[in-house]
Amino acid sequence: MDDALARMMELRDDPFQWARGWKERTGSKVLGFFCGYVPEEIIHAAGALPVRITGDNRVTSKSGAHLQSYCCSLARTSLDMALTGDLDFLDGTVFVHTCDTMQRLSDIWRLNACFPFHVDLVLPVRFEGEAALEYMRLELANFRKKVEENIGPVTDAALSESIKLYNRNRELLAELYELRREDPGIMSSDQALWLVASSALIEKSEHNVLLEEVLEGLGGSSGQSDGKVRLFAAGSVMDQYDFLKMVEEVGGTIVDDDFCTGHRYFDAQVPEDGDPIEGIARRLADRGSCPCKYLPSRDRAGRLLDRIEKSGARGAIFFQFKFCDPHSFDYPYIKKALDEAGIPSLHLEIEHDSVSVEQLRTRVEALLEIVRGN
Amino acid sequence: MTAEERKLYVKIKATEQMKQLMIDYYIDAKAAEGTDKPVCWITSGGPVEFLIAMDVIPVYPENHGAMCGASRMSVELAEVAEKMGFSRDVCSYARGDIGSAITHGGPIGGLPKPDFLLACNNICGTVFKWYQELARYFDVPLFLMDTPFIHKVKTEHATDYVRKQCLELVSFLEEQTGKIFSEERFAKVALLSVEAVELWKQVLETAEHRPSPFTCFDAFIHMAPIVTLRGKQEVVDYYELLRDEMLQRIEDGVSAVPEEKFRLIWDNIPIWYEMRNLGNLFASNNACLVADTYTNAWAVDIRIDDPLTSMADAYMKVYLNISIDLMVEQLLNLMERYDADGLVMHSNRSCKPYSLGQYDLAREVTEKTGKPVLIIEADMTDSRVYSEAQVRERVEAFIESLG
Repeated sequence: MDDALARMMELRDDPFQWARGWKERTGSKVLGFFCGYVPEEIIHAAGALPVRITGDNRVTSKSGAHLQSYCCSLARTSLDMALTGDLDFLDGTVFVHTCDTMQRLSDIWRLNACFPFHVDLVLPVRFEGEAALEYMRLELANFRKKVEENIGPVTDAALSESIKLYNRNRELLAELYELRREDPGIMSSDQALWLVASSALIEKSEHNVLLEEVLEGLGGSSGQSDGKVRLFAAGSVMDQYDFLKMVEEVGGTIVDDDFCTGHRYFDAQVPEDGDPIEGIARRLADRGSCPCKYLPSRDRAGRLLDRIEKSGARGAIFFQFKFCDPHSFDYPYIKKALDEAGIPSLHLEIEHDSVSVEQLRTRVEALLEIVRGN
Repeated sequence: MTAEERKLYVKIKATEQMKQLMIDYYIDAKAAEGTDKPVCWITSGGPVEFLIAMDVIPVYPENHGAMCGASRMSVELAEVAEKMGFSRDVCSYARGDIGSAITHGGPIGGLPKPDFLLACNNICGTVFKWYQELARYFDVPLFLMDTPFIHKVKTEHATDYVRKQCLELVSFLEEQTGKIFSEERFAKVALLSVEAVELWKQVLETAEHRPSPFTCFDAFIHMAPIVTLRGKQEVVDYYELLRDEMLQRIEDGVSAVPEEKFRLIWDNIPIWYEMRNLGNLFASNNACLVADTYTNAWAVDIRIDDPLTSMADAYMKVYLNISIDLMVEQLLNLMERYDADGLVMHSNRSCKPYSLGQYDLAREVTEKTGKPVLIIEADMTDSRVYSEAQVRERVEAFIESLG
């Protein structure tokens, strides 16, 4: 493993160590966020570091007093992190209206976790139509104002600079995915997905340098993926690296995905000319959509099938958290489309507080057998 | 009904009229299927006034879900959706409705097929996912009315966004029905809707009287017309009748629960399959559930001078579209107005926007009022997750603790 990749992988055991170190070094503010629709560029332009919270594999001790057991573990374990002091380095949190659960988590978080800065960005659910896009621009401008009032000025020049950095980062990640589609052997799927996830935990210019080094250091195929079955995976957050390692162990490799911490995170670019807020809004509407968003002219299943075909994947894994309503509602329809296209798939539901990779192993093996038999 | 049960109830005379109103409505709606009368399925928080003004027949899967639940038919319908791959963890109204669409099952043999769909996400994000599935299944267009959630403060641009969507909805309906929208007609419908909502408020307010002539279990049944048919004259007539009967009860000293000793507030959607048992359980312990957060959801204001803007605000400000701190204010207001001794919360697996946050709400209410809160774990129509013995025990212990 080359140096840059090794250094990146070391960060995975303690995802916030880089942010804490950065804060100590710079004295600047760190803001937590949950949703991939957060316009990180605006936070970055104000001189703060946005870091993504994606739950934690733990048995909760404090969140049970606020959230029922039928709430997803992403919300339950994240709240637990806040209430047990594990996120004390944060200066604030940004909530985007995502689903019913995140909407309520925002209130509970604001009333109980008490970070100095709390902001709700109520993006539209409709992502098409002039009224929705106009509302989105105004809500983003409103968000920028709140960041300016609480964190620091967001000048147009700084915002343009941040947009360039973020576009460069998305370009590098897209390149990584392209290289892996050509030859998945250059890097395992758990490494590739961490490279994306770590982008939301490390300051972007630094992440760009690391990514460039990683990409330069990729000296062709390691041969590791020889004979491995190419798979596509879909879901919300993918933070279960032991699961991904297991998939590789049993002979599969994920060559492309539709995770919000994967492909959706770097999909589409912000136009660099014109009004920056308008550009950010444009990208949010253009990028691969989350099931929480309504884009009537898009067929999510059709788009996924296209990507499956382009990636050469022969099977798919739906990986989701239990009690995730938006993904649960989309599953039967996408599954049907995959069945009709002859793509075998597997549906897995996990909870952060009871992840058992071993129990999932036989199910992934069964999927691989079906694929190999096809 | 046993003799003992009969003692616990004083029958509301207007119930027969309400039943007839709903039977006529469903007969009309079912008869419209396949004719040139358009049928639109709409969510309970949706702006039905536009449909009524365009002579579209509104059909409410949630009201139907409640009927299926009350007749204990939801589970078999939900199982149909579960076999299609819908998780048992998603909303049981949605599962039951999808099941019924396929099998035409349920107490009235399913709902008439929609010509188009109208979902308003002011009650949850689930309705949007649910209606998306319906749009695929029936292959009909869906209009999503997107009402931004209010975290403490409502913004001007949110109001403007919803107001613009009202205009988009008008164009959508014109396209679907081939008719021209009449502002004059709409104003009439909005006026009737406001009138019905005002009368419904008056009905609910009669329960402020001690002893109360009316319980929330009555409200759950008698809310059907305000949900489904507001904007029509017969609804106004009906609620006048019901209000007058309740006022007469107050005059005659008739109470809903014969020996009302405790007054409680209900939170969340009813446990439809268990309504009668729960009603009896509270009544036999001399507790009257005098008000609830659910039936108040339709008590919204529409101003005739600017119907679109005021409607946009009204539809955004419903109980499920506001943050926990704003919900606390409303709960405290109910507790005070109805002079309540405690709060009963239904923690409803099917409804996350209603249920997540209840633990914090419960603590706030107890802290601010000193009154106790009981939280019951259940589901509005999926009886498989309900434990009658456990709930009975907890309700009895709770009422005992009241004094």
